Amino acid sequence: MLEFENVSLRFRGGAGVENLTFRVDPGEVVALIGLNGAGKTTLMRLALRMLRPQRGTVRLFGESLDDAHDSSWAGVGALIEVPLAYPELTVRENLRIACLLHGSDRRHMEESLTTWRLAPFADRRFHRLSLGNKQRTGLASALQHDPRLIVLDEPSNALDPASVLLLRDQLTRRAREGAAILVSSHHLDEVARIADRVLLMNAGRLIGELDITGSDLERAFFDRIREDDEHHPTPQEVVR
Amino acid sequence: MNAAIRVEALKLVRSPVGTIGTLALVVGTLALLGGITAALASGNPELTAKAGSAATLDWNGLLANAAQITAVGALLGFGVVLSWMFGREFTDGTITGLFALPVSRHQIALAKLAVYVVWAIAVSIVLTLGFLALGLVLGYYIPTADTWAGIAIQGTLGMLTAAIAVPAALIATLARSVLAAIGSVIALVVLAQVGVLTGAGGWMPLAAPALWAISDGANVSPAQLALAIAVGVVFSILTAAGWARLQLDR
Repeated sequence: MLEFENVSLRFRGGAGVENLTFRVDPGEVVALIGLNGAGKTTLMRLALRMLRPQRGTVRLFGESLDDAHDSSWAGVGALIEVPLAYPELTVRENLRIACLLHGSDRRHMEESLTTWRLAPFADRRFHRLSLGNKQRTGLASALQHDPRLIVLDEPSNALDPASVLLLRDQLTRRAREGAAILVSSHHLDEVARIADRVLLMNAGRLIGELDITGSDLERAFFDRIREDDEHHPTPQEVVR
Repeated sequence: MNAAIRVEALKLVRSPVGTIGTLALVVGTLALLGGITAALASGNPELTAKAGSAATLDWNGLLANAAQITAVGALLGFGVVLSWMFGREFTDGTITGLFALPVSRHQIALAKLAVYVVWAIAVSIVLTLGFLALGLVLGYYIPTADTWAGIAIQGTLGMLTAAIAVPAALIATLARSVLAAIGSVIALVVLAQVGVLTGAGGWMPLAAPALWAISDGANVSPAQLALAIAVGVVFSILTAAGWARLQLDR
């Protein structure tokens, strides 16, 4: 569904990602974890064509993004940083524009209002919602067209415990139905509950997978990051 | 493309910026014109001297003043709303949601411009009808054929002014900012004034529509007016190209 092959991108300031190679297959939930600034959002932006790699290839549904037709994106649902929702529109109107832009059936919108428990706020303007309800609107907008590939950047941000459960149910059900899911998170416990694989990212590189069967995930995570830092000193450390 | 047009139309209709922009352009212009006319009627000598040939209390005076106000006011009003239509996606962060869609970004940009054009034409028509209503309320005689021609020029001036405001869409895209685009609108107004003062006249596309309307169509040729339309078309193409190539690298 989604495949990176030796993908690199270096920003002018020096940060970026290097030599990323991984794939997300149908029915699989792949989680991406790393410290702030590790490059998780950059990786997701590369997957969604918000950035173009300087080297390497990103493939969507088996086709390089350089050759992908616009219609390919109809099978993708994504939420990166800010939801596709406008403050002046109501929740229902925001879901309607997402339907229009994804080319999906309008009936999905009403189902989505119920699924994401947004019906009581359906006619409220987006700017008057709480942060959690805004996030649920964003998730509904990204997922209501039943995408085959789902890319979510820290989707549990601002969600209350009930909404986190709802999100978990939605993702596991969609994976069972064949969707490929790439999700980033800071919550190791949450990731361990839903992910089939957890990719570790540090300083713009994928440094392997985290064993989620262990008991102390935080310790395992920090050990791996420290080990990687020791083997890959920063340019400043090399100079010193 | 149809879907993108419907989305952009909904966003403009429901936004406070669209509503306030429309009211400022129509009500603000008519209120200012009514105020100037009242001041002229009261015999204010300073204003009468400044107004020159536009000081007469008839259709000619009313339409000459309307053209002067529209030339600057409509450029600011249209430019600010267009700046917001493009720049708000970056300022609000919603631009990330406009990637990974089966509707391409250049189609979204063209949809924004299409909605802007329809809105600007509607505002120009309503404003022109407002000028007509104001003249009739002021008790000016029933319009003659020449007056109707002058009223038609006012409507066209509004539409041509909308065309020369389009560079703001490109600036909003390149700078990724509403405020930078609004700054460019102010620059457009200044450039138009400089064009008039330096005698560039009709060959200065930013000044041509106003000079054409103020001279009742006499001092600017159709070719010169076409340049103003060309500004709108060329900058629309550049803006759409900018959206097609957009990367979120800053």
